[in-house]
Amino acid sequence: MSALKSETYRQKKPAKQVIQRIFLSEYFILIMSLIYFVCVIPFAPRIISQSNLLNLLSNLWPLLVIAIGQTFVLLLGGIDLSQVSIIGVTSVIGTALMSNSFDPAIFEGTPLWGWLIHENGGPLAGSAASVPVSIFVMLIIGTLIGLFNGFFVARFKMPPFMVTLVTQMFLLSFAIYLTQSRNIMGLPESFSAFGTKSLGFIPYAAIFVVLIALGAHFILAKMVLGKWIYASGENEVASVVSGVPTKKVTLFCYAMSGFCAAAGSAIYSARLGMGRPTLGEDIMMDIVGAAIIGGTSLSGGKGKVMWTLFGVFFFTLLFNTLNLFNLSYFTINIVKGLVILAAAFLDVIRTKLMTRMSIVNGAGV
Amino acid sequence: MKKRVSLLLALVMLATMFVGCADKKGEEGTSTSTSSSEGGSKTIALCTEDLETEFWVAAHKAIVDTLEEQGIKVIETNCQGDANKQLEQVKDVITQNVDGIIVIPKDGDTAVAVTKEANNADIPIVIFNRPPTSDEGANITVVCDNATVAEACVDYMVEEAEKKFDKTGEKLTPLIMVGDLGDPNAIARKEGFYAAIEKKPELFNKVIEVPTEWDAATALANLQSAVQANPDVDFLFTSSDFLFPTIQSVLEPLGKWVKVGEEGHVIMGGLDGDATAGELIDEGIIEGTGVQDVYNEADLAISGILDAIEAGETQPDEIREDPGFALTQGNLKEKRMDMWGNILREQ
Repeated sequence: MSALKSETYRQKKPAKQVIQRIFLSEYFILIMSLIYFVCVIPFAPRIISQSNLLNLLSNLWPLLVIAIGQTFVLLLGGIDLSQVSIIGVTSVIGTALMSNSFDPAIFEGTPLWGWLIHENGGPLAGSAASVPVSIFVMLIIGTLIGLFNGFFVARFKMPPFMVTLVTQMFLLSFAIYLTQSRNIMGLPESFSAFGTKSLGFIPYAAIFVVLIALGAHFILAKMVLGKWIYASGENEVASVVSGVPTKKVTLFCYAMSGFCAAAGSAIYSARLGMGRPTLGEDIMMDIVGAAIIGGTSLSGGKGKVMWTLFGVFFFTLLFNTLNLFNLSYFTINIVKGLVILAAAFLDVIRTKLMTRMSIVNGAGV
Repeated sequence: MKKRVSLLLALVMLATMFVGCADKKGEEGTSTSTSSSEGGSKTIALCTEDLETEFWVAAHKAIVDTLEEQGIKVIETNCQGDANKQLEQVKDVITQNVDGIIVIPKDGDTAVAVTKEANNADIPIVIFNRPPTSDEGANITVVCDNATVAEACVDYMVEEAEKKFDKTGEKLTPLIMVGDLGDPNAIARKEGFYAAIEKKPELFNKVIEVPTEWDAATALANLQSAVQANPDVDFLFTSSDFLFPTIQSVLEPLGKWVKVGEEGHVIMGGLDGDATAGELIDEGIIEGTGVQDVYNEADLAISGILDAIEAGETQPDEIREDPGFALTQGNLKEKRMDMWGNILREQ
């Protein structure tokens, strides 16, 4: 019977086989994105203008780095809802350190006044190293918050949804408390340049994100740690039995998620030229949506940095084109929601199809 | 196979980028040719923050309708309160070679960021109703004199408070619902409130400040706590009229949502001049409201952007002020139909 099924597969028409191969390919989303991109050109020719492509890319980098962090947590079968608040809290602290001036009339009543910030700026104001040191501090804080989340998930087996939701609420309120809802302005030019300028023709933000993405890809694809992450997400009990240090793996993944959120925060803050306690508050759907569209599974054990890149590319492209079509904001949100749902549905179909094919091939070939 | 597919896809992406880069020159050419080839037809982008209050809805409608009546194409975006998204949307409309941009910014700091983008692209920009927090960059700022309007409204409330004080001999407990302090309008309204209160300090206990962040849910939670802690609040100013339904939900169960002159009445006022405030003034529930003339502000914004486009000014830099006024129980008969909220109700 199996041999007969296998024969049927072999006899399929080449065109159908190609479509099936594309559908099951790990490049499926990228191919879809490019087809979509080409199809949109006649309706919105501006999409291929240089300025629009540059916009598209500048929107892609911060979301990509944050989604890469989320991918690590999703690979474990978890979720990190606190990323959006890590963006806000690190934005406030990082920019407070480097800002060149604070208006006493606005900031005198904040808890940071007097010991950290003064009329003449933050502690690093005017220093040549203010920008790199502040970004470094942002990354450290993001990582520490991630470790905090990871500790509760790994040590006490608390549901990641609950732990990170609580952290999200706490951090959002904490960020607002720190500045009493004020934005931090007066940032050094070199910080704004980090978010808006290029080294030659490559934006600084792109260099920063690509380095992190390569590091993340190396960890997942080449290191034993990567195998442990996949194994822990696939079957935690079997991983423990096999000697995988699942607690340390969990700690690492959440720390990575916090680190990446802080990296995204640095880019967003630099682009806006300000520190905002509510920065990133509304982008949770974009982060998780982009990772899922790329093919990362919500149930863990499946995902790649490359897939997340494809997902973020598609998501950014979609949002860009919807804006170019001048659709209303609620239409844009409806479309975004439907696309995420379709992506999750396609993922289920593809997984089932691949499982069926591997069973058929395993028995028949 | 995988390598071939990757190579092919990379080539397609690179080709697209080159097409994009090659298009740059054409793009520059188009921006000048659009207006000449299409006989002066214009495209203006309207980037809004959200449309959750009557004031923003009325402003949005007035601007869009007026522009479209003049045959001008309007491109609309809405960032739903996300400053970062608003910046992205402004960058998006810039790529569409619009002739001008009108922005209702998330806050004064975001106004600075979007002004910078428009200036870099040499496109005139109008900042509507929420002025930038710094004078960096060039824009046409259309703004109401919030401090004066708030002060005028609270002055009337203070007069009423004085009458009550004379009658009872008891100091009143004032409460102000403060807006998002990242918004210069919120700061100006707060200043206007204090300017009026400080004229008669002998009438009042310490002022209670309730932060709202311009968010109804935040306002509700904070007002409930404040009123529980200070049940004797009898003088209330909201920095925006859209919070009156929230205030009603807190005061009504306490028996304090009653008409002027009735037992337990709280002296109340607001700012914006929306339909809800108009109705409450007519019913005698509140003393008055500061009115921003939304139609005047829409006209100022439209004439500002069109004048700049006609004059070929890419970085106009000026402030166009709406003087506003206070509609109170005292001047209701004369000024009732000057308030945009009442005009909307009549319509």
